[in-house]
Amino acid sequence: MNQFIQSLVDAISGGAILGLAALSIGLVFGVIRLANFAQGEIITASAYTLIFTWQFGWFISIPLSIVVAVALSLLMEFAVFSRMRTATPATLLIASFGLSFLLQRVYEMLFTNTVQTAPVASGLAQSIDVGGVRIQMLSVITILLAGALLYGLTLFLSKSSLGLQLQAAAADFQTARLIGISASRVIGLSFALSGVLAATVAFVSTVQTGAVGPTFGVPIVILALVGAVIGGLDKLSGALAGGFLVGFVTSMLASWLPQDFSNFRDAYVFGLVILVLLFRPSGLLIKGRGVART
Amino acid sequence: MPTHEIGLHVENLCVSYAGVPAVRGVNLEVKAGQAIGLIGPNGAGKSSTLLGIMGATARTGTVRVNGRDVSGLPPEKVVRQGVAIVPEGRHIFAELTVLENLKLGLVGRRKKTGITEAFAEVFRLFPILEEFQGRKAGLLSGGQQQQLAIGRSLMANPDIILLDEPSLGLSPTAVDTVFEALDVVRKSGKAVLIVEQRAEFTIAFSDKTFVLHDGLITLTLGPSDANNVDVLTEAYFG
Repeated sequence: MNQFIQSLVDAISGGAILGLAALSIGLVFGVIRLANFAQGEIITASAYTLIFTWQFGWFISIPLSIVVAVALSLLMEFAVFSRMRTATPATLLIASFGLSFLLQRVYEMLFTNTVQTAPVASGLAQSIDVGGVRIQMLSVITILLAGALLYGLTLFLSKSSLGLQLQAAAADFQTARLIGISASRVIGLSFALSGVLAATVAFVSTVQTGAVGPTFGVPIVILALVGAVIGGLDKLSGALAGGFLVGFVTSMLASWLPQDFSNFRDAYVFGLVILVLLFRPSGLLIKGRGVART
Repeated sequence: MPTHEIGLHVENLCVSYAGVPAVRGVNLEVKAGQAIGLIGPNGAGKSSTLLGIMGATARTGTVRVNGRDVSGLPPEKVVRQGVAIVPEGRHIFAELTVLENLKLGLVGRRKKTGITEAFAEVFRLFPILEEFQGRKAGLLSGGQQQQLAIGRSLMANPDIILLDEPSLGLSPTAVDTVFEALDVVRKSGKAVLIVEQRAEFTIAFSDKTFVLHDGLITLTLGPSDANNVDVLTEAYFG
């Protein structure tokens, strides 16, 4: 029983982090139909920042990692995606692949292929005893962090004028512009928010591993994309739930499958994706078939 | 033309999609307090004319709003010059509430004062929107959604309002409600340009109606032509 509760908390935390990562992709996708594969490299850049600046104190390192993520996200939009506004979603996706590989090589040149390590928030890696159940501090922190971030984001999207504008643009970009919503403003906003979420994912993942290499963000973004597609990229709640589901299931499989099987857990997750795509091509949470924006 | 006159002035507007012309040199003018109709068969270029005016599609020609040339501007900036559009198919934000939809209309406002009055005015025009303000817009009936779309455009306090087939898919009663409201809007001194399929209705309502054919204005009709079958047949099949 205790072991089950431990694995449950870990799975919720794993789900929370992939949910945030999927949401960071969904936020941008909703507005400009870009499933940004290079989101992984934003996570990596933010994680490197944590590793290299942790020695100066968390109050410098964490804000800096957020600034780097937001800046890189906005730079991608400005330097690449803003120049391809009329491109199809497929072209945008391929461009983001290219950007992703390019940045991985840049990281390799700058920081070599070996992983960089630092004891980032190592205190959080400890376990605490709650009524006889050993629970990882980091899992609890992750869940709380994700909850707070989601609450803040929901509040922002539903209560502020800019948030409403972002929602409107995500629902119907053409109409949003026709009623006066500035395209560049909401697009910039979606990239910036997406950067903040990426920084959060980077923080939790860096604390978990303490080591960052050039492809640090890749596995995260692959699973997040998978989650977003399963849940439905068209809706923020869909992407979030899909990401959560993938993170949760992956973590549970790791805890409960026999060692021989759990090595292949990603294969099971992708099997699940194939099933979803076959039977619910527009996502588990979206009614009807998705329609690509023209 | 005097430069500061309130209204819309379109000169030689051309719109084409991937090289195929949809609008081929439209000239029209809508003055304050005037309603102008634009009718014609499917594919005549009616919606493209409106999107061209808004800058939402590639176009050539000159569009002047209150005397000011807006030809090079993107839609979000054209709105801020005082033009609002009620798009075809209403395009309200279904997942947002009625009130949130109306608030979004405020984005295009030139002056940020008088917002309370703007809500009051829209609610006076469409009482149902006040009653349902907390409801998700997607749950409204077609007629109510059209009222919301018009209400949303009025929140920007435009001088000129463009409507793309406001009667599309509505019940006769709902159409009456919409056109009664548009009459109030016109009388309040705004310039109204209506694109419609319902020829008789539009001709009777508008101060002047242009017939669009293959991207060109081929005929100009007055309210008295509404029941003239020959003229209408000529307009659509001539």
